[in-house]
Amino acid sequence: MTTLSATIQEVFNEPACAKNAAKSEKERKKGCTKQLQPGGAAGGCAFDGAKIALQPLTDVAHLVHGPIACEGNSWDNRGAKSSGPSLWRTGFTTDINETDIVFGGEKRLFKAIREIIGKYDPPAVFVYQTCIPAMTGDDINAVAKAASAKFGKPVIPINAPGFVGPKNLGNKLAGEALLDHVIGTVEPEYTTPYDINIIGEYNLSGELWQVKPLLDALGIRVLSCISGDGRYREVAQSHRAKAAMMVCSKAMINVARKMEERYGIPFFEGSFYGIGDTSDSLREIARLLVSRGAPADLLDRTEALIAREEAKAWASIAPFKPLFAGKRVLLITGGVKSWSVVAALQEAGLEIAGTSVKKSTKEDKERIKELMGEDAHMIEDMTPREMYRMLKDAKADIMLSGGRSQFVALKAAMPWLDINQERHHAYMGYVGMVDLLREIAKTLFNPVWEQVRRPAPWDDPADNWQARALAEIVAPQLAAE
Amino acid sequence: MTQSADNVLDHFELFRGPEYQNMLAAKRELFENRRDPAEVERVREWAKTAEYQEKNFAREALTINPAKACQPLGAVFAAVGFEGTLPFVHGSQGCVAYYRSHFSRHFKEPTSCVSSSMTEDAAVFGGLNNMIDGLANTYSMYKPKMIAVSTTCMAEVIGDDLNAFIKTAKEKGSVPEAFDVPFAHTPAFVGSHVTGYDNALKGILEHFWDGKAGTAPKVERQPNGKINFIGGFDGYTVGNIREIKRIFDLMGVEYTILGDNSDVWDTPTDGEFRMYDGGTTLEEAAAAVHAKATLSMQEYCTEKTLPFIAGHGHETVAFNHPVGVAGTDRFLMEVARLTGKEIPDALARERGRLVDAIADSSSHIHGKKFALYGDPDLCLGLAGFLLELGAEPTHVLATNGSKGWAAKMQELFDSSPFGKNCKAYPGRDLWHMRSLLFTEPVDYLIGNTYGKYLERDTGTPLIRIGFPIFDRHHHHRYPVWGYQGGMNVLVRILDKIFDTFDANTNIPSKSDYSFDIIR
Repeated sequence: MTTLSATIQEVFNEPACAKNAAKSEKERKKGCTKQLQPGGAAGGCAFDGAKIALQPLTDVAHLVHGPIACEGNSWDNRGAKSSGPSLWRTGFTTDINETDIVFGGEKRLFKAIREIIGKYDPPAVFVYQTCIPAMTGDDINAVAKAASAKFGKPVIPINAPGFVGPKNLGNKLAGEALLDHVIGTVEPEYTTPYDINIIGEYNLSGELWQVKPLLDALGIRVLSCISGDGRYREVAQSHRAKAAMMVCSKAMINVARKMEERYGIPFFEGSFYGIGDTSDSLREIARLLVSRGAPADLLDRTEALIAREEAKAWASIAPFKPLFAGKRVLLITGGVKSWSVVAALQEAGLEIAGTSVKKSTKEDKERIKELMGEDAHMIEDMTPREMYRMLKDAKADIMLSGGRSQFVALKAAMPWLDINQERHHAYMGYVGMVDLLREIAKTLFNPVWEQVRRPAPWDDPADNWQARALAEIVAPQLAAE
Repeated sequence: MTQSADNVLDHFELFRGPEYQNMLAAKRELFENRRDPAEVERVREWAKTAEYQEKNFAREALTINPAKACQPLGAVFAAVGFEGTLPFVHGSQGCVAYYRSHFSRHFKEPTSCVSSSMTEDAAVFGGLNNMIDGLANTYSMYKPKMIAVSTTCMAEVIGDDLNAFIKTAKEKGSVPEAFDVPFAHTPAFVGSHVTGYDNALKGILEHFWDGKAGTAPKVERQPNGKINFIGGFDGYTVGNIREIKRIFDLMGVEYTILGDNSDVWDTPTDGEFRMYDGGTTLEEAAAAVHAKATLSMQEYCTEKTLPFIAGHGHETVAFNHPVGVAGTDRFLMEVARLTGKEIPDALARERGRLVDAIADSSSHIHGKKFALYGDPDLCLGLAGFLLELGAEPTHVLATNGSKGWAAKMQELFDSSPFGKNCKAYPGRDLWHMRSLLFTEPVDYLIGNTYGKYLERDTGTPLIRIGFPIFDRHHHHRYPVWGYQGGMNVLVRILDKIFDTFDANTNIPSKSDYSFDIIR
């Protein structure tokens, strides 16, 4: 068994994951992510997952070992923000050619690392494996090790070639690489009782910066954020944090759990989406820190901050409530946890027409039920066609989803707001919630939706393409009933 | 020395050298009676205040930076849209040089136009001799098929009678008796270039339809199924007319474009100089009287022409430079109604694409405030499109806009929640706009090239839509009418919005955390 497949097996066996824990031994071996369906228009690959998970580390040179496809299509596509270095935006790739495939690309990789260190002198080079060199047998672990020794600089192999599985697996393999090679390799200059890690947060559109002032106000230090606006050194010393918050449970649960095992850092799963969730998360951070020896007055200070910030946020939200009266939202999300967004939208008086649970755990689903009631409209894996029907049936006023579903929404003549990774607005924290509502209002009330819903004035509404498309979907359903 | 024969610097660089900088500074100091810079700064700041705006808007006699041009400019525009037609402006030749350069700077094409070159003696004794000689020379030198006469103020002030003058010139043999010389009085002290367009077009139609100034029998109208199309004075005429032809052809409409400038202002470079190219043929112009109906794309460019045409039994329909989905819908529906033709699927798909594009980008335009100036119809069309996009056309200004136009603008504002805080400014100029941009700032400005001073002074990014566009090339080739035209306008607006994002986020290690690849 190779190291990679051993790692994958280990990732599949995630005791902190309730869903995984409930599985039989055999099921667990098969893996936690659904097998990709040949012929289906599916999501990304493991390489992409690893890359997006680590790319927000801003001072690292991210070197993709592979043909131009992998880096050429993903260069600088992450909407994360940096408060300093911009090296993470530079596209490094070995751009391998036929000769490298025939004779092996390890030498080219080694030279590429040397050139990066010579030209940029970054604190570390991350080397990403891709399908082709993995197939031809380039051993990036060995090259990284040799380069590290030769140049006296951390060179970290990220072993997640695309073919091993989907994006989510790549997220976790990236986490494994950090655990194996980075975390715990550097000691911080000093520590405080208020040091925390934030895991699985990517500072998309600068979201972390909407939360960080709250932590600053409490005197809580983010020792390391993995990986939003992160620095190599911060991750390397993250093992000295007193507590951790895990933001995106799907991507990095292995990192949080293993850091608890190895370094005794307790973690909780929280969200900064929505007012209540933000407050809960702040409370939980304070509670964990106090339990690890921080002065108990942190709890009171936290409550005071929450009271102040919530009051401000409610005041800013109030004007939206009359606007949103009777408006229904359909929520189709991948990465962002549905329940935390559901709670956020309900706070603004929006009704939830339905929410996707494709990537949600059983626990997540329970929480959705708690929020939306027993007959909550939860949507499992959907084809675009089903989504289209759902949009028509649900009679929602707006859909919130990732970029890939937007076109389905448009075809169903439904206003759509991007809440996934490529969005351009920051929705975290108390401030972010108000921003989200502002964007929803903009989208709901843009006059183009009237145009979208209305057929061309010369059209016969009974015989336009939408009517025909709908008939095509509904007719077989009626026949079946 | 800054300048050297081996490396000759142009004006961009030369005057930045220390020699010139020192010289210019010394000149200011020693000879120019320079004002205290602090005082200059104080006044500059004061000119941004509401107090200054009040005084600015109380201005009565002075116009500063007008957003309009004169009647004969519009007359020349209308004339060159006809086959082999040479515009002949009776009056001072300096004026005519302006029209030619104005059009050439916008369309980057030569514009042929002659003048009767009136001088002081003609101003005293009348311009008859100039007309006689001018028509004779024009006819023999440039071999036009038609000479369309209009006037400058000079001829109008002394009261030259074009009808009589042309008649006399023909009697004296300047041009053959049957040669077409339509005319229109186009004094610049009345109206603007859109008025001149209107008068000149009406003059040409009158000539062909109403018996060529008494020299031929009136044409007996025998209605057919065709429609006439009038574009109006339009800086995008090259792209727009071609787009309209494409749309009509797709629909299978039989049509006549009255005033087709699309070829004369877009001649190929193939070694042949085309003094005239394309245009509505004289036969078509004459036969246009038989059409069933006439459409004008710009109401305020055809205020006299359309009633004249209606008087010949046509159904007439006027639009206000429609841009965008709803505007194009209305236009196509009218064409379909008048001709009984169906709107083909190809156009329905173009419509869907424009709606799709707007939906894709709506969040970037939604709620943004725009200041807008231009000709009255263009203002109405663009403001309508902005409202459709969810933007607010906060200040809409037309130097040549009337009170009636302002009322129409207000009606448009009232039709959309996004028009709530918007206001129309008829008869105001760009110095008024300057005050507005300071006291009630907006996100973007839409206007012609002259708006670049406003952009510089007020920091409001300028989206160049209008006439003239001198400092950007070839915009006139891209239509703004039809769904595809709407797409062009949308892209032009979005490009500026994203350029502005980039410009605001491009300082390394300072603002470039938002210098994003994906917008």
